[in-house]
Amino acid sequence: MSTAIETRGLAYRAGRDFEIRGLDLAVREGSIYGFLGPNGSGKTTTIRLLLGMLRARAGTIRLLGREVPREMPAVLALTGYVPERPHLYPYLTVDEAERFHAAFFPQFDVGYAAGLRRSFALPGDRRLSSLSKGEMGKLLVLLALAQRPALLVLDEPTDGLDPVVRRDVLAALVDFCSQGRATVFISSHLVHELERICDWVGILDGGALVADLPMQDFKNGIKRLLVAHAPAAAAGAPFAVLRREPEGNEQVWVVRNWEPRMAEWFAASGAELREVADLDLEEGFVELLSSSRAPAA
Amino acid sequence: MYGQLLRAQWLALRLPVVLLAVLGFTLPLLTVTYGGGLEGGPAGRVAQWLFEAQQIGQLIPFFALLAGVLLGIGAWSADHAGKHVYASSLPLSRARYVWLRFAAGATLMLIVVAALLVGALVAVGSVRLPSGVHAYPGQLTVRFLVAAMLCYAIFFAIAASTKRAALAVLGVIGGVVLADVVLWGIGDSTAQVTPTLFMWLTNWPGPLSILIGRWALFDV
Repeated sequence: MSTAIETRGLAYRAGRDFEIRGLDLAVREGSIYGFLGPNGSGKTTTIRLLLGMLRARAGTIRLLGREVPREMPAVLALTGYVPERPHLYPYLTVDEAERFHAAFFPQFDVGYAAGLRRSFALPGDRRLSSLSKGEMGKLLVLLALAQRPALLVLDEPTDGLDPVVRRDVLAALVDFCSQGRATVFISSHLVHELERICDWVGILDGGALVADLPMQDFKNGIKRLLVAHAPAAAAGAPFAVLRREPEGNEQVWVVRNWEPRMAEWFAASGAELREVADLDLEEGFVELLSSSRAPAA
Repeated sequence: MYGQLLRAQWLALRLPVVLLAVLGFTLPLLTVTYGGGLEGGPAGRVAQWLFEAQQIGQLIPFFALLAGVLLGIGAWSADHAGKHVYASSLPLSRARYVWLRFAAGATLMLIVVAALLVGALVAVGSVRLPSGVHAYPGQLTVRFLVAAMLCYAIFFAIAASTKRAALAVLGVIGGVVLADVVLWGIGDSTAQVTPTLFMWLTNWPGPLSILIGRWALFDV
């Protein structure tokens, strides 16, 4: 299957403290990829590198089969982008902003934009400077969707929005995704939000990709196990141990890539598996981050 | 694309453009404030009027500079405020975007130039010139056009550049002044860097020579 986003060995440095190191991303065409990471992990920087707004120190980027930044105008013509912060000209009205945007994107769907404007209840004659944060968020999503992009890049599109607006925006995204085969790349630090819409998840921390897996595996593959008579080492285990710590006479293991048949490994090791508990996505996210940050034993 | 950028730039800069247009219309009219009854008047009075008219004309290069600063810097103000994120997400090369922005600002400058031309024509039509005195509304307007566009281009380029580039320009200017101070400090009064550089810039064929000299709507 072809990839909509592909980076190899992507490297970037900003100041002394922040760098992206050897980032290899492969986002399948037609997928909805959740790009998770804590604040400051490099999500926005990665997106800006992908869209040619920043120049990488090393590595290659291909979007929709085209080389970035060499073929940037062609890539951007097919890419809808919702940035982290509003960036439109504040002295324009909603109508004017829409016309301005449409002039640059030949595939801009005026009818679809009008429908979205009605469902978002956006007033056409209001200046952008007077829009609320929620209204501005809706407008940004409207403009990106109405471009009918092959690739939609959303940088924390619902950050700071109230639950009602967030629901509207996510509903519009889901509706858009159901209409075609556009690839969606959505960054967020709100794990539960991505759970509803994404089919693949990448987790970035400290400028490095620490996990890249199907959402199903992320949801179901991370478990908390209660183990009695636990072996000293987990060598040869068919799962990855993210964390283990004593709890009374037993041990709590947090593991990844878990499948029920793997319980046999404990029996073969002389241990007793007493409980298998699901972690919610947020707990799983925190465990993955913690394990990636822990010093190597 | 150009039409939408022009419209957006107009919406952002309409107040300064209108004020500049009013000023551009008014400046030539000021030159004829004391121009009544010149025909057949004493030669001394005509000479005095010409002198005053030319003094007012000397404001026009400063006006060109003001228009260039306002429209040149204003062309980028909205993009700067959004850290150029929106402009960078539009599907056209950066060079093409810069040219479109420049062309939109230059078009707005034409409004100011047209206002000056109309003001100059009204001024010329409002006086009966004594023999030997001629009006040059077309020449004045063309000269203003060139001067204003030159100033606009300079400030457009400075505003378009990064902070580092702007600091480099300021550094060069500061360096030149510092060199003068040092030379003066060591007692070398023959090497005057700043005046020499200024002369080089403002004397033909220096790039700013258009701003220097007589700016007369009326002359013999």
